[in-house]
Amino acid sequence: MSISTTRTIPVPPGLVIAPPLPDLMLPVKVRRGIIGFLRNHPTVAIGGALLLCLVLIGIFAPYLGTVDPTAIAPAKRTRPPSALYWFGTDQLGRDIYSRVLYGTRVSLTVGLSVAFFATLAGLAIGLVSGFLRWADGIVMRFMDGLMSIPPILLAIALMALTRGSVGNVILAITVAEIPRVSRLVRSVVLSLREQPYVDAAVASGTRAPMIILRHILPNTLAPMLVQATYICASAMIVESILSFIGAGTPPTIPSWGNIMAEGRALWQVKPYIVFFPAAFLSVTVLAVNLLGDGLRDALDPRMAKSL
Amino acid sequence: MVSYILRRILSTIPVMAIVALFVFSLLYIAPGDPAVVIAGDQASPADVERIRQSLGLDRPFLVQFGTWVWNILHGDLGTSIFTSLSVSSMIAQRIEPTLSLMMITLILTILIAVPLGVVAAWKAGSWVDRAIMTFAVFGFSLPVFVVGYVLAYVFALEFQWLPVQGYTPLSEGVWPWLQNLILPSIALGCVYVALIARITRASMLEVLQQDYVRTARAKGLGQRGILFVHALKNAAVPIVTVIGIGIALLIGGAVVTESVFAIPGLGRLTIDAILRRDYPVIQGIVLLFSFLYVLVNLLVDVVYTLVDPRIRY
Repeated sequence: MSISTTRTIPVPPGLVIAPPLPDLMLPVKVRRGIIGFLRNHPTVAIGGALLLCLVLIGIFAPYLGTVDPTAIAPAKRTRPPSALYWFGTDQLGRDIYSRVLYGTRVSLTVGLSVAFFATLAGLAIGLVSGFLRWADGIVMRFMDGLMSIPPILLAIALMALTRGSVGNVILAITVAEIPRVSRLVRSVVLSLREQPYVDAAVASGTRAPMIILRHILPNTLAPMLVQATYICASAMIVESILSFIGAGTPPTIPSWGNIMAEGRALWQVKPYIVFFPAAFLSVTVLAVNLLGDGLRDALDPRMAKSL
Repeated sequence: MVSYILRRILSTIPVMAIVALFVFSLLYIAPGDPAVVIAGDQASPADVERIRQSLGLDRPFLVQFGTWVWNILHGDLGTSIFTSLSVSSMIAQRIEPTLSLMMITLILTILIAVPLGVVAAWKAGSWVDRAIMTFAVFGFSLPVFVVGYVLAYVFALEFQWLPVQGYTPLSEGVWPWLQNLILPSIALGCVYVALIARITRASMLEVLQQDYVRTARAKGLGQRGILFVHALKNAAVPIVTVIGIGIALLIGGAVVTESVFAIPGLGRLTIDAILRRDYPVIQGIVLLFSFLYVLVNLLVDVVYTLVDPRIRY
């Protein structure tokens, strides 16, 4: 589409007309509806589709040709991948295909739960400290302290004091993620509270809790959604790391980190034990990160240009 | 400026105090009885009592915390429950490989990531930019042990260019030392490269729109001079900040990398401590690394007040 029209002006002889200026504003094709949104943001579509597949794999793991992931069969140990054992078997003869598929459940549960709880707690802390000046100093000094403990080490320290269970892993990773989320929420709140509509609400006598709920909270949701996807991705990595080094989910639960930990001793001769859970983990994290990048581009076009 | 630097140094004291308080309080706020958890399932009541005493859980919180802080200020990080050795000496034995790994990774990462980010910003929107940014997404998504195993399999097992696992101290020569650290550093650096390349690109994009860049271009400066002298210098603050913050990633990743490549460093010590539930050792390592992290970020802040004349407090 061009701005220049086709009208013809009689040109006096001897005069050279400058060529029409190029269009500076390219039209943006606006597509509506869910399908339109996904076509405008292909990374959301790709990441979302991959993630959906993995969620379905997790839910329908028992019906996808799997056997009991904890069934031990010493006679059939360390079989390479074949038509019968798609991903091979481990040292105890357990079917890796079944274990990896069931492992999807653990990773997704941990990732989604941590994203949910850390966002919730971070929102609460960030809203309060961003809005109440007297609380800000204390809370943020505390968060600064927590943030200087590397998250994985904080989770390790917490796990060393509790019994390994999926719930404790979720708790440990959530605690480690909270400072970052609350910092982000706080910075968003600090810029929002300078907005004229917040001044207007204060001037008309609205109470602080109402201002937070009505005017501030809704505006923090978009950046929080994006942040939640990144937390989910990082939580899944941390969970697998914790399990891999023996500080995560108990060994009886087939999680990707556990499968890799068991394959570690044999990785030079039987690399497939480590390979399949590693591949699933990478694809899952990639899917969540793609979704996050896509959502960021869609919800925050200003950020999208720079990052 | 001197007063700013002094204030900045003083401000790390409360941060370290909170770190110490938190790491210490974990023993008390962790769900369940830590003495029972640490002792394990086969422990007798006497064992549990012994561990309770050695952790100081039988004494009032404040008294115990006071003694503990006092000892730390004197360089005593406590005694391992399992080996009865002092935690400081156990850490001292294992620190060289970890610091070597982190140093090499840091150098390698900055040498790779900053030019990548600059090129991506310069060629913004082109296929080069897209390739670099796609690589960054993968860098974020591939867990460090996945990259580690792939690298070790391809370059050590298949091609046999580099040793598969292990560590050689620096005292036995630079090349043997470096040889063992190349693959681990690349594996560990992947996330870090992605992070720094992304920030470098973002920061550079902003600077490249400034008037002085246009002026530099107008007076006929070469592309390289504009990018690396005019633009990168002015884009440096966020990049240096993120290098400092990213140290946290490096520390966490080092634990895993050492496990994959069988490097006998602090990461391995951490893992051994977890398996034996040796909490004083874990406590010591967490404190040490947090202190390192705070120190690096302090250094970063002080360096830019010295280097960047625009920052005045």
